Amino acid sequence: MSQPVVVAEALGRRYGRRQVLDGVSFEVGPGEVFGVVGPDGAGKTTLLQILAAILRPTTGSCRVLGEDVRRASERVQARIGYMSQGFSLYDKLTVAENIAFAADIRDVPPAALAERRTRLLAMAGLERFEARREGQLSGGMRKKLALCANLIHEPPLLILDEPSLGVDPLSRRELWRILDQAKADGRSIVFATSYMDEADASDRVLLLRDGRPLAIGAPADLRSQAKGRVYRVVTADPGPTERQLSANPEVISFQRRAGDELRVQMRSQAPPRLSGDARAEAAEPSMEDVFTVASAPPPAPVGTAEPAPPERPATTAAPDVIVAEGVARRFGDFKAVDDVTLSVAPGEVLGLLGPNGAGKTTLIRILCGLLAPSAGRARVAGFDVAGQSEAVRARIGYMSQRFSLYPDLSARENLLFFARAYGVPRAELKARIAWAAARAGLEGEGEETVSSLSGATRQRLALACAMVHRPQVLFLDEPTSGVDPLSRFRFWRLIAALAADGVGVVVTTHYLEEATFCDRLGLMMDGRLIALGPLADLTAELGLETATVEDVFLGFIARERAARRAA
Amino acid sequence: MKLRRLLAFSRKEVIEISRDRFTIGVALFMPVMMLFLFVYGITLDVENAPLMVVDHDKSAASRELQARFVNSGYFMLKAAPEDERAAEHALMRGETRAALFIPKGFARRLGRGDGAPVQFVVDGTYASTAAILSAYGRAILYAFPGELRLPVQPEVRVWYNPQLRSRNFIVPGLFAVILMAFPPLLTALAVSREKELGTIAQIYASPLTRGEFIAGKLLPYAGIAFLELLIVVIGGLVWFQVPVRGSLTLLLAVGLLYVVCTVSIGLLVSTLVRTQLAAMLTALIVTLMPAFLFSGFIYPIFTMPAGFQIYASAFPTRYFLELSRGIVLRGAGLRELWPNVAVLAAYTVVVFAIAAWRFRKRIA
Repeated sequence: MSQPVVVAEALGRRYGRRQVLDGVSFEVGPGEVFGVVGPDGAGKTTLLQILAAILRPTTGSCRVLGEDVRRASERVQARIGYMSQGFSLYDKLTVAENIAFAADIRDVPPAALAERRTRLLAMAGLERFEARREGQLSGGMRKKLALCANLIHEPPLLILDEPSLGVDPLSRRELWRILDQAKADGRSIVFATSYMDEADASDRVLLLRDGRPLAIGAPADLRSQAKGRVYRVVTADPGPTERQLSANPEVISFQRRAGDELRVQMRSQAPPRLSGDARAEAAEPSMEDVFTVASAPPPAPVGTAEPAPPERPATTAAPDVIVAEGVARRFGDFKAVDDVTLSVAPGEVLGLLGPNGAGKTTLIRILCGLLAPSAGRARVAGFDVAGQSEAVRARIGYMSQRFSLYPDLSARENLLFFARAYGVPRAELKARIAWAAARAGLEGEGEETVSSLSGATRQRLALACAMVHRPQVLFLDEPTSGVDPLSRFRFWRLIAALAADGVGVVVTTHYLEEATFCDRLGLMMDGRLIALGPLADLTAELGLETATVEDVFLGFIARERAARRAA
Repeated sequence: MKLRRLLAFSRKEVIEISRDRFTIGVALFMPVMMLFLFVYGITLDVENAPLMVVDHDKSAASRELQARFVNSGYFMLKAAPEDERAAEHALMRGETRAALFIPKGFARRLGRGDGAPVQFVVDGTYASTAAILSAYGRAILYAFPGELRLPVQPEVRVWYNPQLRSRNFIVPGLFAVILMAFPPLLTALAVSREKELGTIAQIYASPLTRGEFIAGKLLPYAGIAFLELLIVVIGGLVWFQVPVRGSLTLLLAVGLLYVVCTVSIGLLVSTLVRTQLAAMLTALIVTLMPAFLFSGFIYPIFTMPAGFQIYASAFPTRYFLELSRGIVLRGAGLRELWPNVAVLAAYTVVVFAIAAWRFRKRIA
């Protein structure tokens, strides 16, 4: 291998007293695709900004394209392509103007510009939109355009910060096709992601957590290291098995998938001991499993482990807690939600999946009585969302994307505020708060201010606040966004426990793999519900045997497109 | 510095501005609105001040004195109550600004050539108005019934603005204030918007140098600011008919220097803050407030305590304001005004240099 493109040695970065990156060392070779994988707050963005020479490391050293990022930052900046998180182009400029601007400030020879622009835009499927303003493109198209703008000067190294965050599965595949081409052209790529499955697309990955490296290596090697520690448990009655697993200190984590299948990660290379009909068989570790195994916390002392999941009651013939018929919402000419019909039974978990802008949040706001539908009817907990929104809001719990907690209040004060705001009787306050905290798996964090809590703890506190008034229906809008797998698994177990109590749950997520935790799925695209049902049924509907959630989603998108073209 | 990169950056800025209604509104509409509001709204002239007269003499002479007050145009007769207390109450309630008390025997004593006392009371709540009203009242009284022959024969002339039209004074002052109010605000917002939206990361990770960045932002915004200058100058000179005694070319030339200076202040502000909100507040505090209060726009600097005179000298508005009034009102030229031009030029260079030095192609 010739000269490495990136040489990072013991990189660290501090903001004030907070150490956001610590002791990260790695090399990236020419033409290599290097993935930096970790949850929000792991230090991915900080690391990428250091590589792009737009942030000075506080410790360690780093050479990019042979230049020191401290001393020769301008030379590094001039030669790389760097795509920051979110939308990094100018929304008031057209596609062509954005590309021309990128070319001009990056010294692209005018003679080469036309040919490169045509080729890149064709590859991104944007050639028909040259005259359209960037702000009027879909999220996926904006990301692809940003990538084109960063390839226009043909940089030897591309640095991409969460390129596919919140992008629909189709655009995500197209984005990766462009990246594959860039790799074929000999460019090195360093990208960050919180989607574990994307790590498999890289030659080597660096797993980051809390600013520290957990593991580094080729995905296949990392997976084989985790071999023998990941098991699939099949049982007819998962309830007792789950209780056994949560009592076992050797178990790092376990997740119930659809079809009453359990997946278990172990501390050592031995299957969990199980009684009854439960069978554990070794499973092929996924990147998520690798991360879970690598970030295993020390075993919890006896007695402080989370409460065992309760027995799931037999489904009763209780009336549905959500009934929506032909619900639609327009904003001007834009149809945010279009003709959605669905129902949720008590104790059922419905997952709404879709890219950013698909209408998930708008639909949830309508069902919460926060936004009136412009057409259709919906009843939640027996009340009409448009006419009786007060009654609806008293019976639901809503946890928004940004966890609307008060950062300067303590966890207990937040709970107290929400309990009072929802009208919990004074005499019951104390007991109810204790109940909600226990249900959400909060332990000793009561007196700490929210701003000092970790993302995962905040997430559970937000859940406690949303259910302190014992709602019949719980709406969770992207509750697991950017949280590490271990905490996400734990959160899903809490949701399952709530459902077992008879609460109807609607969850939105853009982690497609989380779909397997839901009883039924609703796939959303451009405001429409393009599929609804259990994952197994949806897979069968497409005539597939086994398929990933992404395949299923893509299958329904293709079907929807074909139907629209025919119409 | 590469011209192609700089121009590309400026061109991008111009396209964005031309497609943003808010920026165009603030850039072109607000200055015109401010010009009209201030010229019509702020008038330092005192006309038709309400006056109460308590006339106990009821003679031809006392009626003639009343008539002189009203006919001067500075006062209008609010009421003529029978007793003093009614007038005192009116003063207390703020219904009248001044009161004239004429005692019994006024005409008789006047005829005898004895001193005929009258009392003229002015409400001193608004000190500057009170000073003007008492001067007007005194002038009317001294000239009654005929011109007084004093041993010294003063010949007082008001130069440069003989009719003391306050708009002749306000309009050239507004040139300075308006160009300090909006261009820095727009510029600071433009840079902090890029920081807030994250588009600036693309600029950091590119060959564009910081000089090119600063100059590329300065060019279009200085252009807009100069357009603002043209608009308010034309508005002031044509609509409000303020005569320009000096050279219009000189006014526009120093105006160009001034807008480069104010836009540089906006750039400097944008290097100090991260968000648009902070940019807006900082810009208002460092530009608009001192421009109104400590530039001599309304309150003259030479009457301020020494400390505040130094404070006022720290902002460029006073220098351009003196230039603007000097050229428009006094017809002064470079021969008289060069020190101010020199200070303004030095100021601009320093602010631009600090802004360029502060701007880093780094996240933190």
